[in-house]
Amino acid sequence: MTDSQKRILVLGVGNILFTDEGIGVSAADQIMSRYELSDNVTVMDGGTLGTRLMDPMMNCDLVIVIDAVLGDGPAGSIYRLTGEDLRKSLAFKDSMHQTDLVDTLIMCEIVGTRPEAVIIGMEPLDYHTLNVGISDVAKERQEALIGFVLEEVVKAGGSYSLKANPSSITQEREPCA
Amino acid sequence: MAPKTPQSNFSGPVVVDPVTRIEGHLRIDATVENGKIVDVRSSSQLFRGLEIILKGRDPRDAQHFTQRACGVCTYVHALCSTRAVDNAVKVKIPKNATIMRNLVMGSQYLHDHLVHFYHLHALDWVNVANALQADPVKTAALSNSLSPNRKETADQFKAVQTKVKALVDSGKLGIFTNAYFLGEKKNEAYYLPAEADLMAVKHYLDALHMQVKAARAMAIFGAKNPHTQFTVVGGVTNYDALKPDRIAEYKALTDEVIAFIKDFYIPDLLAVASFYKDWAGIGGTSNFISFGEFPTDEYNLDSRFFAPGVIMKRDLAKVASMDQKKIEEHVKHSWYVGDKAHHPYNGVTEPKYTKLEDKDRYSWMKAPRYNGEACETGPLATVLVAFAKGHKPTVDAVKFVLNYLKVDASALFSTLGRTAARGIECLVTANQMQVWLDALVGNVKGGDTELYTPWKMPNEAEGVGFVQAPRGALSHWIKIKKGKIENFQLVVPSTWSLGPRCAAGKLGPVEEALMGTPIFDPHRPVEILRTVHSFDPCIACGVHVLDAKTGKTSSFKVL
Repeated sequence: MTDSQKRILVLGVGNILFTDEGIGVSAADQIMSRYELSDNVTVMDGGTLGTRLMDPMMNCDLVIVIDAVLGDGPAGSIYRLTGEDLRKSLAFKDSMHQTDLVDTLIMCEIVGTRPEAVIIGMEPLDYHTLNVGISDVAKERQEALIGFVLEEVVKAGGSYSLKANPSSITQEREPCA
Repeated sequence: MAPKTPQSNFSGPVVVDPVTRIEGHLRIDATVENGKIVDVRSSSQLFRGLEIILKGRDPRDAQHFTQRACGVCTYVHALCSTRAVDNAVKVKIPKNATIMRNLVMGSQYLHDHLVHFYHLHALDWVNVANALQADPVKTAALSNSLSPNRKETADQFKAVQTKVKALVDSGKLGIFTNAYFLGEKKNEAYYLPAEADLMAVKHYLDALHMQVKAARAMAIFGAKNPHTQFTVVGGVTNYDALKPDRIAEYKALTDEVIAFIKDFYIPDLLAVASFYKDWAGIGGTSNFISFGEFPTDEYNLDSRFFAPGVIMKRDLAKVASMDQKKIEEHVKHSWYVGDKAHHPYNGVTEPKYTKLEDKDRYSWMKAPRYNGEACETGPLATVLVAFAKGHKPTVDAVKFVLNYLKVDASALFSTLGRTAARGIECLVTANQMQVWLDALVGNVKGGDTELYTPWKMPNEAEGVGFVQAPRGALSHWIKIKKGKIENFQLVVPSTWSLGPRCAAGKLGPVEEALMGTPIFDPHRPVEILRTVHSFDPCIACGVHVLDAKTGKTSSFKVL
């Protein structure tokens, strides 16, 4: 990585326990397991953490957030949001969490370095039902969502290639004698 | 005369909904008569149902789901689920695994308490707008007088004023919205001198930097940033953390955080407290429960650095040992079917919503009771139990704080005492972390790098994990049948402290604490926030799904 290269953070956010609230985390997991990304790109599962995401966020120049977004479109619609529109993304709303992502970005700015932020998001079908795994609609549209994220990565100066042997997404299990 | 919390003769209802700067959705519904709270209900507006999706899964997977219940306490749930299964399958984990778990938990304490004091609780005491009125030269003198290690300058404070002014002018008040010092008229319930306000605002910003380092330290041993992923049934898997350079990196970051706690957090806490001393007489409760934390032997609760125990009716001369059989969860005043109290192993989660204004059934939280009594949990409970049992580091820290503020031990039973106890717990833990780290380094040097003990999944078993999280007593209860989860219950700290009335009609701790609280300005009831925030509510795990029937979904509409 050269100094002129933008450091890019791909951050999947949301709560995997609530169906399509897990859209972002699920997409990030897929990218991590299937793609090899250039050294200036980090992919991360941000869950619903607030201030604890400041460290990775302040250490990048651009954060590409993947999240469920409440736009006006039908379930499965994919959006690209910047600037004032950020709050349409679930993790950026006045959420149930002590610090939402807009606050976290403001805190990054106050402390010194605020990355550029762009959201690639999808309209959820259901983000209320307690259920692990995204809806069928979201599943169908996941490849398209990932495509837009990777396009964004390339636009910012990153690159990617398919892994020869995709790694497993399921959590590594300890041996059980 | 020292300024005092102003009084009013207001009578009427005061509702704070939602309480902000907490994790989760909490509503406080109070009745005020002649300027004081005479009746109050603490109501959690989110339904809990995590238990339901755990049924039928592999017990080892419980931690991956429970740690997603909350945006803050991911590790404490992962640890608690792991301990519950450790307990059920009866595996004895290696010494180093215990130390590793303690070190990560220690980092979590430092991180959470620092963030709580500066970023979640300080705005109840500190008037950010008023900081613009301060004299930077006097502020530097005030700050440097509080610790010999502070070398702050007037220019630095001036720069903070400029920053705050820019923030106010740009309208990006996001992080300060809903703070009760905002408004046309100054809120007289805030009465720090402007210089103390400015000092606290600067340290609010400095602490933002510092919490980043605390989180980074946690990630070094926690293996996966930012969700920890190193606890497994039988021990831990962070073999990488045994390497000298990783340990050195962890130590450097932790040392820096600890220095900040000693030179800034504790002196700031004492300075602010010394102005708000009348809060040593407001917001107290009667009974306390702590599970204790930081074991040397995972199988012996009494081996924990902070001992477990129960204190009833503020009697520090009598600390009872904690007997898990005496824990029950009540639902008579909660939105669940029936009115039967159950021990957690037999817990039932069957929701039945009535309505928001219902005074009889009014919360999604269950009401845990110990021997039929409501018990506060959290740092105050931990510190009181340790203090009463003569735990020397805690006794020394408590005495130092009481002497500084010139108050006696009865002052601990208050909102001020609760906030001070959080600082004490943080300081005592910080001092102990080096001891654990040295023990780990010693073991590794001696050739002991064991982190995991193999075990076998039984066909049928039950187990419990006890964790004293930064917010207090957390327990996960598991029943295993045919190698799968048959029942799983979580009894979380915030249900202990913020839950509703029980079958006997006894108030929950936060309700008890709020009774008698003065309310000066019913539109900006900062007095309620002071006490509620002092419990550090974190109720996303207590309950979760937003319930459409409450009509509160409007907060999720497109802006």
